[in-house]
Amino acid sequence: MTTTRDLGWARCRTCGTLTDRPGEKCLVCGASTEVRKPQSLQYVWAFWFAGVLAYIPGNLLPIMVTDSVAGTSPSTIIGGVISLAHHGSYVIAAVIFIASIAVPVSKFAIIAWLALSIQMRWKLSTHRRHMAHEVIEFIGRWSMIDVFVVAALAALIQVGGLMAISPGIGLDAFALSVIFTMLSANSLDPRMIWDASRPREGEHAAT
Amino acid sequence: MNVQSRSSRLITVEQLNRDWVACPYCDEVWARPDLSEGERARCGNCHSIFFVKKTRSAERTIALMIAALILFITAVSFPFMRMEKSGLSNEISVLDAVSILWTNDMHLVALLCAGFILFFPMARILLLLFIGISLLGKGETGRPHAWSFRLAQFIEPWTMAEIFMVGVIVSLVKVGKLADITLGPAFWSMTGLMIVLTVGGQTICKDTVWHNIRGQR
Repeated sequence: MTTTRDLGWARCRTCGTLTDRPGEKCLVCGASTEVRKPQSLQYVWAFWFAGVLAYIPGNLLPIMVTDSVAGTSPSTIIGGVISLAHHGSYVIAAVIFIASIAVPVSKFAIIAWLALSIQMRWKLSTHRRHMAHEVIEFIGRWSMIDVFVVAALAALIQVGGLMAISPGIGLDAFALSVIFTMLSANSLDPRMIWDASRPREGEHAAT
Repeated sequence: MNVQSRSSRLITVEQLNRDWVACPYCDEVWARPDLSEGERARCGNCHSIFFVKKTRSAERTIALMIAALILFITAVSFPFMRMEKSGLSNEISVLDAVSILWTNDMHLVALLCAGFILFFPMARILLLLFIGISLLGKGETGRPHAWSFRLAQFIEPWTMAEIFMVGVIVSLVKVGKLADITLGPAFWSMTGLMIVLTVGGQTICKDTVWHNIRGQR
């Protein structure tokens, strides 16, 4: 059980090059090498709060406005899901619900749980947390689906005076929320999850 | 003793990287595994695959990126979809999906979409093509290669062609009942691009690329 930290080395996060002088610029790719991403948790929480804050208007404000002969009707994310289900498109309703509501909300919860478990040194399964981090890094991007749905609809439905769909202000907030959450998950240095499961540097040298 | 010259420093780092690798997930140090093409190494501590050597990485990447380039050009230049309702019709291209956001004063989302579905995929195709060719040519690799690959890695999660396509399919289901939709050539190019980019992103062997850049500096 030896880590690069125990040896006084560091692994470049960008290119994987090992260096015996952490803190200097990587000789291979030019990125800064560090034992652990500095202030990792600060970045995680900053982006996490930004993501949560943007998620609220993203859900409350309309992401799409439909103008038709029947009048103007704004629709929110959850409104879109309900109307899809109402019209019998259960699969599509489920896709949108999962991508826009289930994934972002569980992502907020998982990132907060991971960050807290590192900060509070909770004794939890390291493997499970490692898996959770991998999963959120992978699925986070898929929340952008709704943004592209609205973009495609707005471009497509421009039928003279009959009917037009335009994007609503909630879409800005929602897109930002997805981006902030992706940045938050990416700021978490996965090596920190494993650090707690190992003896500390000093103890290691003694054993 | 304390003042090491730059050249002796380089030898140290070279030796370090010739013999050792570390797991990116849990930081465990391992003797550099001697893999043949198609093999991968799993970390004994966290069980992640932490080191791979992909089969014919350069050739496959070049082939897929050339295909991606052709598909990308057709995807942006041909009509994407056509909608008809009560005698009125509307034909859109991929660019329209972005510009409609812009003209509706949704500048932020318009720029993001332009990045995610146009600029980043395009940049990634060109960067990976450049890296693939230089790997195959076995020529000098240096700063430009390091920076190109760094950039290609950085934009990887922000390349969302496949998510855009799923979004389009969802929108088709929503519109399907309202109007007649005809799919244009760009729709099929974009579908192809989505597949080629997803596969192509996996064929490039990061460890080999960085090892090459490292080896020749």
